[in-house]
Amino acid sequence: MAGDDEKDKVAVPPRPAGGRKLDRRDVLKGLSTVPALGLFGYAWQKQRQYEQAAAGTEQAAAAGDVQDVHVALLGAGAQGQVLTDAMLRIPGVRFRAVCDVWAEYNQRRVVNQLQRFGFQVNAYEDYREMLDKEKELDAVVIATPDFWHAPHAVDCLKAGKHVYCEKEMSNTLEGARAMVAAARETGKLLQIGHQRRSNPRYLHCYRHLLGEAKLLGRIVTVSGQWNRAVTPDLGAPERYTIPEARLKQYGFKNMHQFRNWRWYKGLGGGPIVDLGSHQIDIYTWFLGANPSHVMASGGQLYYDPATHEWYDTAMVVFDYDTPAGPVKAYYQTQTTNGSLGYFENFMGDQGTLLISESEVHAAKVYRDTNAPPWDEWVQKGYITAPKLQEAVEKDKAAVTDVRESVSPDEHKVPIVLKDPYHQPHLQNFFDAVRGSATLNCPPEIGYESAVAVLKVNDAIEAKSRLSFTPEDFAL
Amino acid sequence: MEDGKLARGPMIAITLLRVLVGWHFLYEGIAKITSPSWSAAGYLKQARGPFADIFRWLAAQPDLLAAADSITMWGLTLVGVLLILGLFTRLASLGGIGFILLFYLCNPPFVGLFYSIPVEGSYLIVNKNLVELGALIVVLASGSGVFAGLDTLVHAVLGRKRKTG
Repeated sequence: MAGDDEKDKVAVPPRPAGGRKLDRRDVLKGLSTVPALGLFGYAWQKQRQYEQAAAGTEQAAAAGDVQDVHVALLGAGAQGQVLTDAMLRIPGVRFRAVCDVWAEYNQRRVVNQLQRFGFQVNAYEDYREMLDKEKELDAVVIATPDFWHAPHAVDCLKAGKHVYCEKEMSNTLEGARAMVAAARETGKLLQIGHQRRSNPRYLHCYRHLLGEAKLLGRIVTVSGQWNRAVTPDLGAPERYTIPEARLKQYGFKNMHQFRNWRWYKGLGGGPIVDLGSHQIDIYTWFLGANPSHVMASGGQLYYDPATHEWYDTAMVVFDYDTPAGPVKAYYQTQTTNGSLGYFENFMGDQGTLLISESEVHAAKVYRDTNAPPWDEWVQKGYITAPKLQEAVEKDKAAVTDVRESVSPDEHKVPIVLKDPYHQPHLQNFFDAVRGSATLNCPPEIGYESAVAVLKVNDAIEAKSRLSFTPEDFAL
Repeated sequence: MEDGKLARGPMIAITLLRVLVGWHFLYEGIAKITSPSWSAAGYLKQARGPFADIFRWLAAQPDLLAAADSITMWGLTLVGVLLILGLFTRLASLGGIGFILLFYLCNPPFVGLFYSIPVEGSYLIVNKNLVELGALIVVLASGSGVFAGLDTLVHAVLGRKRKTG
């Protein structure tokens, strides 16, 4: 072996000074590691493709046609302003009229704004007068107090206009049913303003993460919340006060009630309706079922009960019998501390989806340790690569316990809505008016949502568990 | 090694080591080049240990920082390519050792230093930077580029003598 050993020694052969001829062996040895560079190039290119897939998922669909739609705004308060700002960004929306009973302030503000954008809009206090005079209107966008939704929407539909109506669809189920009937009778479109139904993040999670990839496995529990910090009552400058006769004519006792109608029984529905309605609608949508039972506890814990007739705090548990099995869903809203804001959290035996309209939480999925790998969905750009776990402070005194679950991988959902929250839902409505889309929240869906949400206030009042029957949701 | 010779087996192993380290350098460089927002500033500002003041000072000089960023991203890439190809291997190894030494000294896992940035393992004085630095010393000492790499051709053409092959 000594000879072999000698042969195995690798040494530079003696060369004459000034170079020598290259032989085949030199070339082979010289190029022997070049394939590693090729392999690197291939791996890098693949990696880039996967990273770009994530970016590509975000891109919105190409702009459609921009056939003009002639629009009136009915209700120019805070929510009407939000919708106006979103509509101003949508091509082809032509404002023709603004209607608001607060002619001294809200109406004037929005009219002035629209004129700055070049729209010659007519201002009205009485919506009937507007419907009589504005014959060229295609659609009316309604953002009035809840108790006006039904009469406003029904009359607009009957006048031959398509209607986008803010949620809650109505403060009564009779009102909501009348709206469904009017839409069916007239054949006009009625979109209810549960705007998350058109939010690309929610659509992505519903279609791809829950539908296609089934990342959560079997969903067993849901939780969600909208926590809001203390907010003072809304006021109005003295000089803009609405005359008492006009307030009475439109169903308000006084200016405080006009400004703070959400807190009053018979006008609004309180925080569970203003805030919870959006999110309980998502429970129903993502679970694919209406609730079977509801129990709730709530009350007037903080604000003056004389001017805040509805519950400022509500804690709710819904039961769902979904096609996949029973689900318990918790929801809370409180209006005295805004900590952690608002989100919905769906938990299955393979993963968790935490989703919110707000960018604070955006959307994240957590892969439970017993789930199959998710690399395929990262490669498709549906979710991002898992976040690196941060080093956990080790508690020296604690002994590792087999009952403890390993913390799950966190993946982000790479969908960011760069437009105002309501814009995609309004866009969907106008696309439907033009005949190029179907409504994401037709009145039937809005009705089911109203049934589930309005019953929470009943359950708080009854202090007992109430059940839903399939007939409750039937139209 | 007095005679400047290493057996074929160890040389193959060292060459594999060289390609792996080169691969890592290359991707560290390319990942920084393709990330438009990358800057060494964050890493420098976190600096700890005996040279912390120098690194923090560097992070505070915009012109120097920009130069340091470019040198780092392109330097890592170049060192990576050269190590994989086995071209100018000794020079590349020295360059790599220089980079790693800077990274190591910027955030050294010395006894008694505590970091808020996440790390993927547990280190006491020796971390993976130092291990990679050691690997490059082996590559440097062995002249693996002449055994398998473009240095073979360079050598053959220039005909310069080396102690080890």
